[in-house]
Amino acid sequence: MFVYEKKLQFPVKIRNTNPRLASIIISQYGGPDGELGASMRYLSQRFSMPYAELKGVLTDIGTEELGHLEMVGSIIHQLTRKLSDSQIKTAGFEQYFVDHTAGVYPTAASGFPWSAGSIGVKGDPMADLVEDMAAEQKARVTYDNILRLSDDPDVNEVIKFLREREVVHFQRFGEAVEILRSRLNEKNVYFMNPAIDS
Amino acid sequence: MERVSNSAQQNAPATQGCTDAQGKLPSCAPLANPYVPYQSERPDAYNPAKGIVRGTMYPGLDLPFMGMVNQSELSNTLMHQIQSLSFATTELGLYLDTHADDDEALDLFNRYRELYGELMAEYEAKRGPLTMQQAGANGSYDWVNDPWPWEYKANDKEG
Repeated sequence: MFVYEKKLQFPVKIRNTNPRLASIIISQYGGPDGELGASMRYLSQRFSMPYAELKGVLTDIGTEELGHLEMVGSIIHQLTRKLSDSQIKTAGFEQYFVDHTAGVYPTAASGFPWSAGSIGVKGDPMADLVEDMAAEQKARVTYDNILRLSDDPDVNEVIKFLREREVVHFQRFGEAVEILRSRLNEKNVYFMNPAIDS
Repeated sequence: MERVSNSAQQNAPATQGCTDAQGKLPSCAPLANPYVPYQSERPDAYNPAKGIVRGTMYPGLDLPFMGMVNQSELSNTLMHQIQSLSFATTELGLYLDTHADDDEALDLFNRYRELYGELMAEYEAKRGPLTMQQAGANGSYDWVNDPWPWEYKANDKEG
């Protein structure tokens, strides 16, 4: 089960509201490569993962992603505090505001609501771990792009932290593949699916 | 239970000659397989205060975008110390998931975990519960008290 800790993994303290930035960063809350998808992907893949270390990696990274989801939600919340009437009419934010006001809703910046279609649970350890490596790369690029689009230092401190976590997670998933390989047929790792054949 | 991480690492040649930012790869490897170099045991590590602002405890994995790095450390509040130690244990835990035989990392993990527990207890005695399990320990049910973590003032106060 999960127990809530009443603290953020990394502090989010954003002095200036900025609805334009909120309407971009929302993609890491509910977009195709965002933190909601990341946590659901890893925490769901666990169930068919046959090896102890790999159950651990998926559980621990998936849990950390829930903490990142909370951090991204905190960024959106603080960027949209006490908006003035003119700020509400900011280009790019109006379309979000009309449906969600200053609520935090899992959607891509494009307006496409969060979809399980953007995650994969194949039920084959190699396929799932390689999906996870790609997912970390895509999230890393989204954070790169946010850094290109944002000039708010309070926001960027948090984004740089989150981006670096993607790099570390990529490394751990890569090592997870090596651990998986050590359990499989040396000459042909695709001989069978260890999640259902043994 | 068999320790797989060790045998996984033994598939690769020794790391002599690798820097801290490099890892092990087999010299001959089966085709149509994905490979990421395996991080060597006993890697250099930042202290928790530096690790949290860099987003990793490991200099070898610290790969920023266009040189954009967080330079200044968090102020030395009790909450920031808790966050730094919590981050350090999370990061070391992930490392240990794939490096279960690295005793040095395990010692460090245990040291930070212990310190984290002490600071959590100090914070909860002074300022209120960080988990629901601790609610009421100070004589009243203060779990729901503001501020909650996503609010500006929770991150602004000198804790």
